[in-house]
Amino acid sequence: MSVTREELAAFADGELDPKQHAEIERAVEADPELAREVAAHRALRARLSAHYAPILDESVPESLAALLRREDNVVDLADQRKARSGIPRWGWIAGPALAACLILALFIPLGSAPEGYASQQIATALDDQLVATQPASAPVRVLLSFHDGSGAYCRAFAAAEQGGIACKDTQGWRVLERLDGDNIKNGEYRQAGTVSAQLMAHVQEMASGPALDAEQEAVAKGRLWKPSE
Amino acid sequence: MKGRETLSNRFEDGVLALLPRLRRFAIGLSRDRSDGDDLCQMTIERALSRRESYEPGTRLDSWMYRIMRNLWIDEQRARQRRSQTFASEEAGVSIGAVGGQEAAVEINDVDRALTSLPDDQREAVLLVMVEGYSYREAAEIVGCPVGTLNSRLVRGRDALLAKLGEVA
Repeated sequence: MSVTREELAAFADGELDPKQHAEIERAVEADPELAREVAAHRALRARLSAHYAPILDESVPESLAALLRREDNVVDLADQRKARSGIPRWGWIAGPALAACLILALFIPLGSAPEGYASQQIATALDDQLVATQPASAPVRVLLSFHDGSGAYCRAFAAAEQGGIACKDTQGWRVLERLDGDNIKNGEYRQAGTVSAQLMAHVQEMASGPALDAEQEAVAKGRLWKPSE
Repeated sequence: MKGRETLSNRFEDGVLALLPRLRRFAIGLSRDRSDGDDLCQMTIERALSRRESYEPGTRLDSWMYRIMRNLWIDEQRARQRRSQTFASEEAGVSIGAVGGQEAAVEINDVDRALTSLPDDQREAVLLVMVEGYSYREAAEIVGCPVGTLNSRLVRGRDALLAKLGEVA
């Protein structure tokens, strides 16, 4: 069979439906020249993404980040005065060890929750608070809710200078990501908006779709955050 | 209204989290770091002023990319008009200045090959092969049919393969 340039590129990109994909796959297997072209397409893609990847690791210029923090109204004034620049690098989560004492204080208090699960205060907020209706003064703020790859409900939250992402399973809210005092002691990442931004970056990697809207959140709360069958 | 306030924080946080990716696309489109950051700034300002038209629950990244892409097209057109006027008056000076600037920047093979592509092809290549969008998502950002996006992409990548050699 003859394969067009468009079909071959779409095949290399995984853009064909299963039936077309299988057809082209057979043609490619039977023709070393086509196989070579597919490999070239994939190598080009790898080369281009490697070429631009370093930009993701650079710190974002403060002039850009400041445009988005100017209207930030989550933090109190004292924090605002202390807040300075310091946009997190993209790879923060793979970074230095977290400050264990703060984690312990927040997440594992006095055996009231299994290890790795949210403490009572946070679990209550995760169970009860809806993003659209929670009071602005709530000690634990839920930032948004989403589904992870397995369909479980997950919620990102921020409490004072700490935050995290927790997903609901049969035992409770399992804390998958924690963000805490490691960078906070030098004052750079105090601003709640920045903590949220770091979490959002991670939510994007975990989420299997857009965040739940207010109605979907209310439904999820009604079913006690149990995933649908 | 508290619900609304929370929503607005989420919007800014969402854009903040997208900034590294937006910069990457902006630098790819404008082929220049400082132009790319200027484009990023215009995009953020435009997004903040039009936040009401963003529909919560839909993809913020596609929405932002679309704004950036449209601003960039406008900028290209304005620049073309300026350079036409300029070139007719003092072509020699203008060309000399541009050449001098380019020489000061280190340009490697990939940059050179991408720069040689027509804008519509470069845009398609960047959205799919660097930003990782599906053809359908990329076509929505550009505002063209999927078939058009596909053929621009193929022409662009064939030209890149010819320039860069087939072994990466």
